[in-house]
Amino acid sequence: MDEYALGVLTNIGLVSFVALSAYLLLIAGELSFGQQAFFGVGAYAAGMATAMLGLPLPVAVLISMILGAAAAALVALPTLRLRGLYFAMATLAAAEMFRILFELLHWQIEVGGERVGPDGTQGFRGIRWVFERGVEPDAFLAIVWLLLGLVLLLFLVMERSRLGATLRALGDDPGLAGALGIDVERFKLGVVAASGALAALGGALYAHHNTYIEPRNFDIMLGVHSLAYALIGGLGTALGPLLGAVLDIGVLEASRFLHGYRMIVFGGLVALLLVFRPRGLLDERTVRWLRARFS
Amino acid sequence: MALLADLVQNTLDGVALGASYALLGIGFTLIFGVLRRANLAYGPALMLGAYAAAWASLSFHAGLLVLAGIAVAASIVAGAYVERLCFAPHRKGAAAAAMVASFALWMQLEEVAMLAMPRHLYAFPALYEGGPLEIGPFVVRVDALLTLLAAVAVCALLWAILYRTRFGLAVRAVIDDSRAAGLAGIDVPKIFMLVFALASAIGGLAGFLIAASHEQVTPMLGMWSTLKGMLAMMLGGLGSLPGAVLGGLALGLIEAHAHWFLGPQLRDFLVYLLLFALLALRPPWMAGARHG
Repeated sequence: MDEYALGVLTNIGLVSFVALSAYLLLIAGELSFGQQAFFGVGAYAAGMATAMLGLPLPVAVLISMILGAAAAALVALPTLRLRGLYFAMATLAAAEMFRILFELLHWQIEVGGERVGPDGTQGFRGIRWVFERGVEPDAFLAIVWLLLGLVLLLFLVMERSRLGATLRALGDDPGLAGALGIDVERFKLGVVAASGALAALGGALYAHHNTYIEPRNFDIMLGVHSLAYALIGGLGTALGPLLGAVLDIGVLEASRFLHGYRMIVFGGLVALLLVFRPRGLLDERTVRWLRARFS
Repeated sequence: MALLADLVQNTLDGVALGASYALLGIGFTLIFGVLRRANLAYGPALMLGAYAAAWASLSFHAGLLVLAGIAVAASIVAGAYVERLCFAPHRKGAAAAAMVASFALWMQLEEVAMLAMPRHLYAFPALYEGGPLEIGPFVVRVDALLTLLAAVAVCALLWAILYRTRFGLAVRAVIDDSRAAGLAGIDVPKIFMLVFALASAIGGLAGFLIAASHEQVTPMLGMWSTLKGMLAMMLGGLGSLPGAVLGGLALGLIEAHAHWFLGPQLRDFLVYLLLFALLALRPPWMAGARHG
């Protein structure tokens, strides 16, 4: 596989984690403009853990997921009762605060005769754990997609379980879900925390793939893109967000003849697609139809 | 004494800044109040208007009034495109789809502007050539004063339209209850479209005034305008027009003081913190946030 294809496939995998975290909230009936913040928390936490504290990557990933979940819960706690656009605005405001905190974060230490650590808007370079251990790009790609596959499997199992039904009930009608005995606020808090951990997992891998991160990697553009991927791909199955990412990054960005016009094509296609399929390509009805057909 | 002087000067600067935020907030609120939808492409549409005006200025040195007309007209066209593609098809439900579609068109409009005029920055003729007004030790920019004047004029005009015309009555009926308004024989889709056009025109005027005050346009104007318009609306209590004006002025004042005392990063942090706190605590004037 050439380097370019490797890069595209890795990027699709990495972005899919954030898109899946947005999807998880969408099926629970919440719109978040702030998933990029937890992706950023994961990236910074994991980068600091390996490059500054010398921890192994798996431990760093675990720490970053815990911190991602904690950060998401922190944002959600005061905003649990907000719905729709108001929750979306609150998450956007929180995410921008996180981005500014990354800009204000200056903490560098001497590691092997080199100053390593986040340096505000100058970014954080030298997150080289993966490269120092001789992990080749194709091996890293395999790790990313293996983890993504694992997450997707979890989603598919979850969606067929009682938990999945509760999640969709909450998304359809929170009042009714509450009347049926679901502790709506506690459940929502759990969902938000899980989505934060998921985004942080993607961020941790992203930092180690790029070796360099800076605050503007985690601005609103990433958040809205992941929301768009989930919605284009479809809200019927966890494969939807992946499909959305493949369509944008894999097909449109990779087609060189579209160079310079990509956003015009992508933007128009998304808007048109949503006119005919407001819940995406693989929406609930399509997924039910496919299941009846092939099982 | 020096502190007091700083406070006064910051307040003057804040009101000046807030005037353009108020205009942006009015346009954003009009759309939100009627459609109950956030139009993320609001800023990019008015950015396209400002770009059209910048192009006209470069190509045939049109006068300021002509440029303002071009900015408003181009914004209305771009706004109508956004309304047809993002909001007309998603009348009922599908709030997420409408918002994501408007984001998709944001990307599209931004790329159109950058393809048509590929340099990062274009000069825009100044709204006022002379220096600032000096009142004792304080300075006031004339273009800011003109923007404030425009904001007041737009408010007065909008009030006259909403409370003194049949069209305004229909708009208020749709804001109160669009289903009931439809049953009473009001052509609701038409009202939606006209309000969108009106909001886009106000946005176009705001884009023109901002570009002419800064004497430049960049593609960043789109995202910046959407964010400031949304913040002004949110701070002003969601969905009320006088609230949007006060919200815009409050945003300008907070930014000016925070910029002076805390610097640009903490200024932005403070604004987002305030917005977050307002949403979380929902004081009485943020009644809109309780349901919806």
